[in-house]
Formats: sequence, C-alpha cells, structure tokens
Amino acid sequence: MTPVLQVDHLGVRYGATHALYDVSFSIGSGELIAVIGPNGAGKSTMFKAICGLVNHEGVVEVNGVHCHDHADRMDLAYIPQRNDSDLHFPITVGELVLAGRRRFRRWYARPTALDRKVASDALERVMLAGTEDRSLTELSGGQLQRAYVARALAQQASVVLLDEALSGVDQPTTAELLDVFESLAADGTTMLVATHDLALARRRFRRCIAVNGTVRGDGAPAEVLSAEVLDATFGTAGHRALAD
Amino acid sequence: MHWLTDPFQAEFMRRAFLATLIIGIVAPVVGTWIVLRRMANLGDAMSHGTLAGVGIAYAAGANVLFGAMAAGLVMAALLLVFSSNRRLGQETVIAVLGTAFFAIGVVVISRLDTGVELTHFLFGRLLTVEWSDIWLNLALGGGAVLVVLLLFGELRLATFDHVQAEQVGVRVELVQAVLVVLLAVVVVVSLRSVGTIMSVTMLVTPAATARLVARTLRQMTVLGIVFGISEGFVGLILSYHLSSAPGATIGLVSATVFAVAFAATLPRRMPHHHRPLD
Repeated sequence: MTPVLQVDHLGVRYGATHALYDVSFSIGSGELIAVIGPNGAGKSTMFKAICGLVNHEGVVEVNGVHCHDHADRMDLAYIPQRNDSDLHFPITVGELVLAGRRRFRRWYARPTALDRKVASDALERVMLAGTEDRSLTELSGGQLQRAYVARALAQQASVVLLDEALSGVDQPTTAELLDVFESLAADGTTMLVATHDLALARRRFRRCIAVNGTVRGDGAPAEVLSAEVLDATFGTAGHRALAD
Repeated sequence: MHWLTDPFQAEFMRRAFLATLIIGIVAPVVGTWIVLRRMANLGDAMSHGTLAGVGIAYAAGANVLFGAMAAGLVMAALLLVFSSNRRLGQETVIAVLGTAFFAIGVVVISRLDTGVELTHFLFGRLLTVEWSDIWLNLALGGGAVLVVLLLFGELRLATFDHVQAEQVGVRVELVQAVLVVLLAVVVVVSLRSVGTIMSVTMLVTPAATARLVARTLRQMTVLGIVFGISEGFVGLILSYHLSSAPGATIGLVSATVFAVAFAATLPRRMPHHHRPLD
C-alpha cells in the first residue's frame, strides 16, 4: 500500500550549518505519531521542510505524489506553535476554519454553501459547534488548537502536522485534545504531533519518531523511549524527563 | 445650522468636500490592511518619498500625480532589492529609502524658480482642488477599492497566517506587492488635498481607530470608512470656521477620535478579558 507520507533523505541547511540531515521515514494512513526531541532538535524545521516552507534537500511524497511546490502539498496541513499566531487578528472561528477550503476554489471565488457545510461539520467534529461567530481571543488554549485542527479537516488534509500543540495546556485539556486526535486518526487522518512530553508519548501514542538533527529512533514507544535512543536524542536529560 | 451649511455655498468648498470624501473612503479601505500587517512605517516613508516624484515631475512640467505614483513604485522596487540583504532589517531600509527620496524632493523643489512652495506638496491645498483632480482621484481610488474587494479573501488569509495561506494556494508575495502598489495609489489620491505628510494620517488613523472597536474585518473596513468620511467632513468644517490648514485640521480630528476610542475601549482590552479558562 502507498504510504500517505514518504520522506527520503530530507535535509535542511542554514548556511554551513545542517539543521537537519538524512531524515527518512514512511507513514501510513490513520497513524498518530509523537515526534519527540529537545528544543532546537529540528522538529519544527522538519515539519516546515515537509510542508515546503523552507528550502530542503531530499524527497517528500504525499499520497504517492512527489512534491515540487505548494500545489503538490495541499494534502498537508501544518499547525504552527500557538505563539506564532496573532490571536487579536479580527477573524472569527468560522472564518478561520473556512480558510481551509481555499484550496478548492479560485482566488476570486467566494465560499460556497458546500464550503460552509464542510467547515461547520469540521467544527462539530472537534466539539466546537456553535463557536463560528466567536473571535479567537474568546477561545481557551485547547479550543484554539481544536479550531486549527478543524481548519485542517476543512482542508481535507491527509496529514496534519501539529507543532507543540500540547505545550502550555493543562492536563485535562491535553487529554481532551488527544481524544480528538485519536478519533481523527481512527477515521484515517494521519497526525504527527511534536511534543516534549515523553511520558505522554509513551502513554498515548503507538509510534514515536525521535529527532535530533536526524532520526534517532522510529518505532513503538517502548523501543524509541529506550535508554539508548533517549541518550542519542536528549543526552542524560531524556532519562530525567521520563523518570519525572 | 448655518455654520454647517454656509461653508458649502462656495464651489471650492464643495470640491474640497468631494476630494475629502474620496480619500475618506479609499484610505481606510487600504489602510485596514496596512494597519493589520503593521506596515504603517512603510506608509509613512512612502508618503514622504513620493515628494521626489512630485518635485521631478513638477520641474519637468509633467503631471505631479504620475510623478508621485512613479516614485512610489520605484521606492517599492528598491525596497524589495535592499530588503534581501540580511544584515539590514526591513525597517532600516524603509527609513533610508523614505528619507533619501524625501531629500531628493526637497532639493528639487527648493531649486525651482516658479513660486511654488514646498508646503503646498507637504500639506496639500485642499481648497484649490480642481474637478480634473477629483475625476482622477475617483478613477484611481475606485480602482483601489475594487482591487481590495476582489482580493479581500486573499488579503485576509495572507495577513492572518501566510504559512497556511501559501499551503492552500494563495500567492502571498503577489498579494504583498499589490498592497504596496495600493499604498502608493492612496498617497497619490491624497497628494493634492491633504499633501504627502498628512496622507499617512488618512491611511492609518481611521483604520487604527476602527481596529480598536471592530470585532471582524468587515466591521473594521466599514467603520474605517465611517471614521474617514466623518473626520474629513468635521475637519473641513472646522478649518473653514477656524481659518486653519484643512489637511492638518482633519489630521487633528482623526487623532482626537482615535484617542477617545482608545480610552473608551481600554477596559475591554484589559488582560482578564482575553482568555477564559477551559
């Protein structure tokens, strides 16, 4: 079966510095994957490279299509770290989610009834029905993440890449978000979630990819969260984080 | 109510009002995006920089509005070239280009021996606006409003989240380039009436005031137009009765309305209003 996302020898260079090198993995439909690694390990860079947002070496294939430009990557949805967004921008939750539908129409066309229906369904799917007219500042951290996920659903993306989606939210909200992610994965959406929380990665994910410059481990949490892989990824800090 | 209607007995005041009306609509429509994209500095630099085109066109006997437009476009092109240098921030490049173009304009105009004064271009001559200026402004301004309406969705996506916008097919850099051209158009439309310096007031202040009170983009655009028109009208009437410079009086009225809106919305912007708990 064709993988949903195939990454081969992906690399990113900033001048003479390799931020990322020789990253390769293959991901199937409906997988929920934790991408772990310390700050500065290249998790965000890897997501951006996959989405074509930074210049990179290597090959990215989405649903068997070799990605050359943004047009080939519309099946990917990237949700950046929360503090990258201007929450005071005058946009409602409904308009935010409708933004995902832009890929299905020309630049001059207005959203159709179908677009509105899909956006409304997406909000319902992430338990935000009825929030269409709210501004982003009226949402809590967890609700905001779910609104972004709804935008990815409206985009009908096969793969959703969430950068630090679980940072800065409390435990009940983390559990609530993971319930949503699991439910979407069960319906066939592939989700990659960058996180620092190793205990959470072990508890709630069936596959982990450890990144620090390159892929240090890829497999079931029991394999990847081993002393050897954690040493290679985090140094001794990894052991401590898991013990905590 | 004579104090309200008397000024408009004279035709020059009716022409001045029409010119103010056009700017009052066009400037906030474009200004909304300048404020949201935090490009007010570019607006300021461009409003000063167009003086180079004005001066050169005047010296050459050409239409000063076309000169201003050409200077705005050359400035935008140079901005793109210089901004590619990573050692310099874009703000630095904007400041260098804006002051350099402004200096060219001042030098050229100060050497002219035609009786024209620098202040005419800096602060405009709203009361001497002619019908030909109004028709030209109407055409340029109407075009600018039409472009914003057509690109409204693209501007929203590219401004709020340019990363996602690119991913779903928006040509973010093209949208940015179009906005810079629209900025030059607003400066040109403002030139005869409020002048190069006050044009940035018309561009930014009504839109910034609307930003304080509006919840959605449509509200912000509509309120910006309401503020733009009413502040222009009030400023014009006041300038008539106070015998003050019309452009600067309109600018003062705009700034006053902004200050009142800022004070009135202060409680709403307090931190405890921002994020409800889960």
